[in-house]
Amino acid sequence: MNFFKRAWLNVWAKKGRSVLLILVSSAILMFVLAGLLIRSAAVKATDQAKADVGATVTLSANRQAAFKKMQSSSSSSSKSSRPKMTLTPVKLSDATKIAKLSNISSYNVTSSTSVNAKSYDTVSTSSGLSGGNSGGPGGMKSSTSTGDTQIDGVTSTSLATDFSSKQSKITKGRGITTADKNTNHVVIEKDLASQNNLTVGDTITVKEATGSKDKVKLKIVGIYKASSTSSSSAGPMSTDPANTMYTSYTLANTFKGSKYAGTADSVTFNVSNPAKVSSVKTAGKKLINTSKYALSTDDSSYQTVKASMSNVKSFANKIVWLVAIAGTIILALIVILMIRERRFEIGVLLSLGEARWKIVAQFFTEMLMVIVVAVAIAGAGGKFVGNQLGSQLVSQSATTTQTTSTTGQPGGSGTPGGSGMKGGNGGPGNMGQSTNTKAAKTELDVSVSAVNLAELGGFGLAITFLSIMIASGGILRLEPKKVLIS
Amino acid sequence: MLKTQGLGYWYQDKDQPLFQDINLEFEVGQSCAILGHSGTGKTTFLSLIAGLDKPKEGDILLDDRSLKKIGLTNYRRHDVSIVFQAYNLFTYMSPLNNLLTAMAITGAEHAGDKDFALKTLNDLGISADLATRNVQHLSGGQQQRVAIARTMACDAQLVVADEPTGNLDEDNTKEVIEQFQRIAHDRQKCVIIVTHEPDVADQCDHQYRLENKQFTKLA
Ligand SMILES: Nc1ncnc2c1ncn2[C@@H]1O[C@H](COP(=O)(O)OP(=O)(O)OP(=O)(O)O)[C@@H](O)[C@H]1O
Ligand SMILES: [Mg+2]
Repeated sequence: MNFFKRAWLNVWAKKGRSVLLILVSSAILMFVLAGLLIRSAAVKATDQAKADVGATVTLSANRQAAFKKMQSSSSSSSKSSRPKMTLTPVKLSDATKIAKLSNISSYNVTSSTSVNAKSYDTVSTSSGLSGGNSGGPGGMKSSTSTGDTQIDGVTSTSLATDFSSKQSKITKGRGITTADKNTNHVVIEKDLASQNNLTVGDTITVKEATGSKDKVKLKIVGIYKASSTSSSSAGPMSTDPANTMYTSYTLANTFKGSKYAGTADSVTFNVSNPAKVSSVKTAGKKLINTSKYALSTDDSSYQTVKASMSNVKSFANKIVWLVAIAGTIILALIVILMIRERRFEIGVLLSLGEARWKIVAQFFTEMLMVIVVAVAIAGAGGKFVGNQLGSQLVSQSATTTQTTSTTGQPGGSGTPGGSGMKGGNGGPGNMGQSTNTKAAKTELDVSVSAVNLAELGGFGLAITFLSIMIASGGILRLEPKKVLIS
Repeated sequence: MLKTQGLGYWYQDKDQPLFQDINLEFEVGQSCAILGHSGTGKTTFLSLIAGLDKPKEGDILLDDRSLKKIGLTNYRRHDVSIVFQAYNLFTYMSPLNNLLTAMAITGAEHAGDKDFALKTLNDLGISADLATRNVQHLSGGQQQRVAIARTMACDAQLVVADEPTGNLDEDNTKEVIEQFQRIAHDRQKCVIIVTHEPDVADQCDHQYRLENKQFTKLA
């Protein structure tokens, strides 16, 4: 391995040239690394979006079909009475069938209603709409209820959107779990608890707002804190969020009346792999009566993040390849010049009978020594460049997303009942708005990982190898006689 | 030991060869000088027997084996050692590393032996102090002695030199020629020296003159 020693002697003896080569290589590799960093950050952001948004499929009443039915009945009836939109509650038997599909990790049954306070006072909002009726006319609930206390029946509070999104938190006791099925356990809000001096283990009494109007005793198992902005699924006319209680969906169904047993307002299925959402939806639709029920997905914000990140990713890919190719050409030219300058030395080596491939190997080793140092320097500097470029790219892609999302969104959820989940008339504009803020908030986490450095090393190696290969033609063709005897 | 058979060479025009039908023989333990006017083709002839180029006509045999068979790279590595007027040392190395590199490439018996290399240099008047400096910081005479030391440190049987004293003063010339004589006589190698200087040629065992495309023996 004499060529290795020669390479070292040369790099060491010609320090000035080596330093210049290191600087040029560092600059090239820094841009390669910046591209790699942005790309991996975009992948990370997309994965994060997947995890944050999760992917859910919701089984609910087919709102559009019901609306059509209401319209046709109103036109046929000459009476001036307001037509009523009847929504068929979801059957839990359908839900269990869908839950058996692959890729469904868990599901949450939601059944909401309201009751009237009996043994306690509700929290009144400053706006003066105290203890009044909740759920405005034509509200989201399938049962028309008029109680002052909102009852959100769930399978488990941890699966409920407000809790999974961390907007609400259990502060005392515990949340509702599957074990609370068919019990009178309740989780109440902190403000309501403190106003009425209630704590975990206490019992409260409510009066059913519909049906039999029975008095029912409820046992408090936990207390939660709702964030001020968190308002439950009820519309803008709702009561103070503190008046929302969580119970098992079975208890909520009991309040609604006996015909609601085994039903729900909606069932949300969590899909373990966001990529499988549409296949789950297709499979699920075969199990239900689609004229009465709808299966809808809400991965729009994931899709938006994914779209904007894939823009960033493809741009980053272009940077990586462009810089790598340009870098290879630049280094190859430098090596070609270097080899020309060292023709004499190559001639001496050849006159000593050195094999040509070993001379090429010497040049390769020299460049490799340079590249190793350059990778280290680029690793230190690439984070900076990547951060600058990354923030630039995100702000750019957020603006492009804005334009695409407002136009593209309605088409995206074109399937019947597609946007039904959050209450029919949310409107495409609205949706676009909410996804925009999400995409704009997506920050690229640009940090240099061992994988990035390994990738960078790979690129460095490839660039070195290619440039030496391109330049080695000069070595392979060189005739020692021409160099040595002039 | 080294034989040329009907050797001929030309650059562009086949009808105007530099030399033609050359049949010479060189033996180990002897030194041989080649004289001739400038441009007659002495260096060209040397490059052929040094394995740096292929003959256009005829053949060169080393111990009755054709260089074509041995392979030029192989021949240069094991059988021939070249000393040039311009020394041709590795400029980024010390004399010591120059010797060690050549020994490693040619697979010499003493390859890797630092003490042997230092001793060889010392024999030629390159002290240990000079031996570890960069060669470019040595005088021309010193550099040529390093080149000769390199030849000595390697095991090649054939030593060819193209005007090795061309850049040297009288004292250095005398010294260098003495070394070549020692290589031929003490180390039993075959030494072929191209030179312009009759004084140098006179020191050698045989002399040839390249004239009119032919080699004529002078002594
Ligand atoms: N690569 C080449 N292409 C064409 N002609 C060449 C080439 N090299 C040398 N010549 C010509 O061949 C002739 C012999 O050259 P060579 O170098 O062998 O002469 P020389 O005897 O060594 O001369 P000198 O004593 O000046 O060193 C010269 O006329 C020269 O111009
Ligand atoms: Mg000459």
